[in-house]
Order: sequence, then structure tokens, then C-alpha cells
Amino acid sequence: MKRLKKTASKILNLLRIVFVSKKTPIIFVLLKEPIFSIEKMYANNFTSMHNKTFTRYILAIATCWVLLCSNTLTAQNAGKADAAKGKDLYAQNCATCHKIHSNATGPALKDVSQRRTEAWLIKWIRNSQSVIKSGDPIAVKLYNEWNQTAMNSFPDFTDQDIKNILAYIDEESKKEPVKATATAQTGGGATTAAATDGGYTNIILGALAAILLVILAVLLVLTSLLTKLLKQRDDLDEADKEIVESKFDLAKILGSKAFIGTVAGIVFLVIAKAGIDKVMDIGMQIGYAPTQPIPFSHKLHVGKYEIACQYCHTTVMKAKSAGIPSANICMNCHNAIKTGSPNMQKIYSYIENNQPIPWVRVHNLPDLAYFNHSQHTVAGQIACEQCHGEIKEMEVVQQRSPLTMGWCIDCHRQTLVSYTTKDADGKDVLNPYYEKLLAFHKSKGKTKFKVEDMGGLECSKCHY
Amino acid sequence: MNLKKYIAFSAVVTSLVLHSCQRGPNDPGTEFAPNMYVSTAYEPYSMVKDSTNKINPYGINLREPAQGTVARRNYKTTYKDASTGEEYDLGLMVYRTHPDSLEEAAKTLKNPLKITKQVIAEGKVLYEYFCQHCHGAEGKGDGKVGQKYGGVANLTGGQIAKANGGHIFHVITHGKGRMWPHGSQMNALERWKIVSYVHVLQGQINPDGTPVVKEEEKKEEKKEETKK
Repeated sequence: MKRLKKTASKILNLLRIVFVSKKTPIIFVLLKEPIFSIEKMYANNFTSMHNKTFTRYILAIATCWVLLCSNTLTAQNAGKADAAKGKDLYAQNCATCHKIHSNATGPALKDVSQRRTEAWLIKWIRNSQSVIKSGDPIAVKLYNEWNQTAMNSFPDFTDQDIKNILAYIDEESKKEPVKATATAQTGGGATTAAATDGGYTNIILGALAAILLVILAVLLVLTSLLTKLLKQRDDLDEADKEIVESKFDLAKILGSKAFIGTVAGIVFLVIAKAGIDKVMDIGMQIGYAPTQPIPFSHKLHVGKYEIACQYCHTTVMKAKSAGIPSANICMNCHNAIKTGSPNMQKIYSYIENNQPIPWVRVHNLPDLAYFNHSQHTVAGQIACEQCHGEIKEMEVVQQRSPLTMGWCIDCHRQTLVSYTTKDADGKDVLNPYYEKLLAFHKSKGKTKFKVEDMGGLECSKCHY
Repeated sequence: MNLKKYIAFSAVVTSLVLHSCQRGPNDPGTEFAPNMYVSTAYEPYSMVKDSTNKINPYGINLREPAQGTVARRNYKTTYKDASTGEEYDLGLMVYRTHPDSLEEAAKTLKNPLKITKQVIAEGKVLYEYFCQHCHGAEGKGDGKVGQKYGGVANLTGGQIAKANGGHIFHVITHGKGRMWPHGSQMNALERWKIVSYVHVLQGQINPDGTPVVKEEEKKEEKKEETKK
């Protein structure tokens, strides 16, 4: 507001100097003749009194404009460093290696402007190597402390750019690091939510049981009341009396042929089912979820952090086997994340001793059947989840598909061949590989082109 | 109690016990014909109890190739561009760059691929597999893992946006700063495809494969045209 008032008064002063000092007030001129009449200006050949006024008017506006501009310009130059501009520069250039509150590739930047002078920082950021070479003690010490990792040079930065960045760092230094507590809270929230979710069904079941018990009690009370009432009456015949006076005899019921027959029948059925299940189970590994040497969670890595399957199972798109990642792939992230966890320590010890991690294979296909991952993922364009289930939600990986021959054949009978591929624009185009095959197939009068139509059921495709 | 009741009772109990017998998560179940299931020859990744490999250390079936081995596929390095139908030789794509030779790599290594829509589309898929979780879908360094890991490069900002193909190729292969080497996860051709896509994210190349002409250069071109 103050600045606005200042500029306003400046303009007023200027107008007074330019116009009021003249004999004819400007308003009067404006009323007498329209000054922007160009015809008149030409007619007067730029020499008349009006034209002079016009020039003066333009001059006044121009001066005002220059004054205004210079005012904002000086405000920009002399003003404080702009933390907002610094934020963008920081995000683009510094955040790669530096964090405010903790060490990353480079040291934590909290209160850096208090540790070092601004001039030193400007020199250092422009070209850190030259500062080290000049033998500056702080620079050399820093360089050696950080395993002689050279900081990138930023020769394009102006002094103002660097000041802006430092202003942003100062601003951020005042804030407390809040990340850790936030994640802890969300973690807690998730577990309580899960607990209430499980408890909900339990409450419903409990309520149902209570209702049933109440009904049972009411029925018992009713029968006892009715029998008491009936006993007082005299007009009952023999049959009715027998019912009313009958007593509950457990031994008699247990010994009855009907009871023994029913129980025997149930037992036979149960045993038969268990036996058949057991026989059918031979050679079936569905549901197999072995405990791994390191409890790697696919739910966390794939579900929460959205790492692609192919990042670790690198050969799934180009080989028979999808591949089990070696420890160096774990280390791409875990050189910095969760380094203190005991399971991480286990991996480190495997690496130090040059040992393989003894992962337990989950999906075992018998040697008599041939299966190739790349065939299915690239040519067949099948998603991993179709056979492996919702890996995204599995804490421990479980075999979800039966992997039996019947299961394979079923899919080969139903699945339509994906004979199109995506071109560079993402449009579906006919894969030239299938051109002749598809034409031949259609010439036979068939419409749907399934895997079985191109030999997907041939024995020797998988068994040889 | 008579004999009948005993029999009935024990039958009920045994059936219940039998029925509750389910195999635990660690039990793969009974195999029908193990001698047909298990390969006589050592297969990579096969895990067989009691018959582990006795020759190799730790019973593993895979062994590291001899030092200096070059994969056969690296001798046939051609690329067929599906969008243009052109197939061309990429030259022998064996790179023996030293991890410390970033500056040299940036000067000498050139992308052997002719960057077309097809190359970029393939590069994008590979970028999603190998880079996106850290560098983010748009290369801003804001992937979900990247946020946790910290210090992930923004590919579109600062000096990195100006990095050339050789530089990016070297960084993918050997890592740089906080990023660890990813050379073991993809072959040279795949890395060059990713390089091509990263150029698009950086704004060095248009999504259709043509190089981006900056406005200053455009003006210069116009001037030259007017001179002519």
C-alpha cells in the first residue's frame, strides 16, 4: 500500500510540473480541441499549438511510464531474495542430491547460510572444483569428507539465482521435518481400519448367536409353560397324555437305528470326500506359499510403490524363465532405504559372503511340460496377473493357478489369438506374422481365431 | 456302552481328524511321478529337495559365465523399425566403458538408433519398467520410490535436461551419484531406446521423433531464408 501511495503521489507531482506550470491548463486544451485528431495534426503540419500540447502529453505519459517501471525494477533488484523463485530452482537443480534435513548424495542443507558466507557459497555453487583446486581449507575438507564426490557446477546461475535458492533453504530450515510422524500416523490408521473391518463381521456373528440363544430360551420357557397348563386339564385322551408326560431320554435316542444310520452315513460321506480330495490333490501345488528366507512383500513393492514386475524379473519378456533378481537389484534401492532392518542385514551378509539368497521357488512346472514366459508375455500379450493372481495384494506369494494340463488346455481353447500389435501411435495393426495364417483360417469359414486353431493343443508343443 | 457305540464314536472322531488335515503353506503336496517331474540335467532355477547340485557351490545350477564373455546376441545387433519397415545395422553394441568415464562417454557415445515414433514408443514401455518408479512418469524425479529414496534426478530440469545420449547411456549403465548401476537389468539396445524416450521427456526431441528446434534457431533459419 505504501508503495502504491508513493507512486500515486509521484505521478501527481509529475503532472503538476509538466502541465500546471504552463499558462493554459491541460483540461482547458482538452475541452477546446480533441488532441488525438490526426487529421488536424496533419493539417497543421505538426507545428501548431495543439500539436505541441500533444507531444508534451505523450512525453508526460512516457516519463510516467519510465518512472513506474524503474520503480518496480528497483524494487526487484534491491528487494529481498525471492524464496519462491528459489524453490523452483532448488527443485530443478539441487533436490537431486540434497535434502534440507538429512544427508543424501550431498550434505544436509539446513542453515547452510549460517555455516558459510554468501560469497563462498556463490563461488562454490558456480564451480566447486575450482574452489577445491584453489586450496580453500573448508572446500578441501568437505570434498574429502564426502569421499571426494565432486558437486556439479552451475555456471549459468546468476548471483541473484543463488541468493534466491539460499533464501528458500533458509525458509525451509525453519520448518521441522514432519515426514516421519506423518507416515507413522497413516500406518497406524491403516491398521486400526483393518481391525475394525475384521471386528465388524465378528460383531454381526455375535449378535446373530445372541438372538438365536434368546429364541431358544423363549421356546424352552413356552414349552414348559404349555406342558404345565396341559397337565392341569382333565379332558385329554390317552395319546395326548403320553405326549405331555413324555420325558427326554438321551440314551434311547442315541441307541435308535435312525440316529446311528444318519451318523454312519455322514461319517462315510466325510471320509469319502476327504479321501477323494487327497487323491485329487496329488501333483497339485495350488495354494503353495512357502516361507522365504527374506520375507519380501510383493504387496509393498508392487502394490504400494508400483514397481513394475519387469524391473526385478528382468527376463520375463525375453526368455523362458522370468528370472529371480540377484541381490544387486535389491541394492539399487536398499543401499539407502531400510538399511537398518534385520532382514536387510541378512541380504548384506549374503552379498559380503558372495552367497546366493536361497529363495524358495513357488511355481514348479514338471520337467515333462515346456513353458516359456516370453511366448506368453510378448506374443500372447498376457498380463502377469492372469496366471499369478493378485500379486499386488500378496504379502507372501502363493500359487494361485493349478498349473495342470487341463488348466493350460482350457485357456488355449478359449483365448483368441492376439494377432494385432500396437504401432507407434498406439493403434492396433495386424501383426504381419499372422497374415497368411489368418487368411487361411478365414478361408475355411471359421471366424474366431483361437490358440487351438494354430496348434495350441498339439501334444508336441509342450511335451517333447 | 456296547461295541457298536465305540465303533460309531471312533469313526466320527477319525473322520473329523482326517478332514481337518490340510497341508500347510510350506508343503507343496504329494508328487505323482517324481522321476518324470524332475529333470535329470541341471535346470536353471529348479529346486529339488535332497538332490541339489553337488558340483556347484551352494547347490545352485547356474554358474557365472567366464570373465569377458560376450553374449551371442551382441554379435547380431540390427534393429528393425516397425513404423518405417527399415532394418539397419547398429554396429557391435559391446560397450566397455569404465564407470569413471562419464565425460568421455558423453563425448564419444552416440545413439545408434534412428529416433522414430516406434523407437520412442518402445523406449516408453522400457522407461515404465525400469525408471518410472523413481524418476516419475514425466521424469520429474517424483516417482513413488523416488520420494522415499530421495535425491532422485529431475530429468527435465537444470543441467540434466541438456544431457546428451552418451551421458544418459553411461548413467543408466554405471549409475551416477545416488543412482546405482542398472546395466545388468537391460541390454545396450534397450538402454538406447530408453535414452531416446528420455530425450522426449527432456524436450530435446518431439514426441514424433523430430528434433526440437528452439525459437532462436528458428529465427536464424528465417533470417537465412530471407537472405537467400
